[in-house]
Amino acid sequence: MDSELLEQIVTNLKDINSKLDKLIVQVENRDEQVSEKDRIMADSLDVITLLSLPDHLRTTATTLFEIGPATADEIAKITNKERAVESNYLNQLVRMNHVVKYREGRKVYFRINDSLKKK
Amino acid sequence: MTLTLAIHSSKGGTGKTSIAVNLAVAFAASGKNTCLIDLDLRGPSLCSMFKPRSHFWINDFLSGKCSIKDTLTDIRDEVGTKAHLYLSFSNPEIGEIRDLVSKDRDWQAGALKALMNGKKELAERGLDVIIFDTSPGVEYESINAVAASDMVIIVHNDTSACTSCTEQLITGVYSLLDKKCAIIDNMYHGNCLDLIDKERYGVPILATIPCMCEIATRSKEEVLVHTDPDHMFSKSIVSIKDKIEIM
Repeated sequence: MDSELLEQIVTNLKDINSKLDKLIVQVENRDEQVSEKDRIMADSLDVITLLSLPDHLRTTATTLFEIGPATADEIAKITNKERAVESNYLNQLVRMNHVVKYREGRKVYFRINDSLKKK
Repeated sequence: MTLTLAIHSSKGGTGKTSIAVNLAVAFAASGKNTCLIDLDLRGPSLCSMFKPRSHFWINDFLSGKCSIKDTLTDIRDEVGTKAHLYLSFSNPEIGEIRDLVSKDRDWQAGALKALMNGKKELAERGLDVIIFDTSPGVEYESINAVAASDMVIIVHNDTSACTSCTEQLITGVYSLLDKKCAIIDNMYHGNCLDLIDKERYGVPILATIPCMCEIATRSKEEVLVHTDPDHMFSKSIVSIKDKIEIM
């Protein structure tokens, strides 16, 4: 085979290799950035954060901690507040990322956010 | 209905563990199935008084590695109480304690959830009383224990440093978490007979126990409430138990 052609192939292969290396580094960096963002976003609810919440939200969050996943109605029965009020508080906690909202059939449930534990 | 108590104090060395152990024995001796959990993860002490027979530590449970029942050692036959007396030990190895100090907020959030679930599991297993012995001051482990309890028993000693911090804990932690509280004045240096307050910072005082070296020295070998029921300390413990039950 033509030695000039072989040399050309080797040079091209080296080029491809270095481009692949760059791509791998880029992908790794991107993954790191994503997990860093997740870390800031998902704000799991620890007890010191619980203490710093305003009174009304703290009562709601503590109740949710105690009874586990629950509907706004179930929380309201324990805290002796209107369902709509608890629903409002729970949604505030969802916006703060402390609580997660999900649907099962027709009912909407809330639970303490612990997404980070599964990291 | 299971009663869950957190034995806490603003400062260290106020006698939390002695009171927790004696109170647990007093409850079990009166026929209540009791579980004492060492949540002083940074300075475990239960394992220096009793020998664990379980495969797991409470640390393993809080990390989600086992169920709470896997951490229990029943010492009813050893101590001779009427009802079961389960102990859950904290791992005293220095490596484990170093590891704990580096745990982040997320681990602590998970630990609180585990503690809440553990309490439910113990209630389902027919436990009447759960006692958390905690580390002093505002540490994650102790505030987690407070959050998971029904009532906080504050073990207070007769120093001004302890006094101001206790008030802060009541207003800045226990009340915010809607916990019932009660104070035990331990190691009191004044004359107990002239006593004194029934209430402090709006919180009832369950007992005033005078400072006696004997309580500390004898507690190395025995659980006073069991071995010496006529001792003044033992009588105080039983009266504290009775008062807690009607609170």
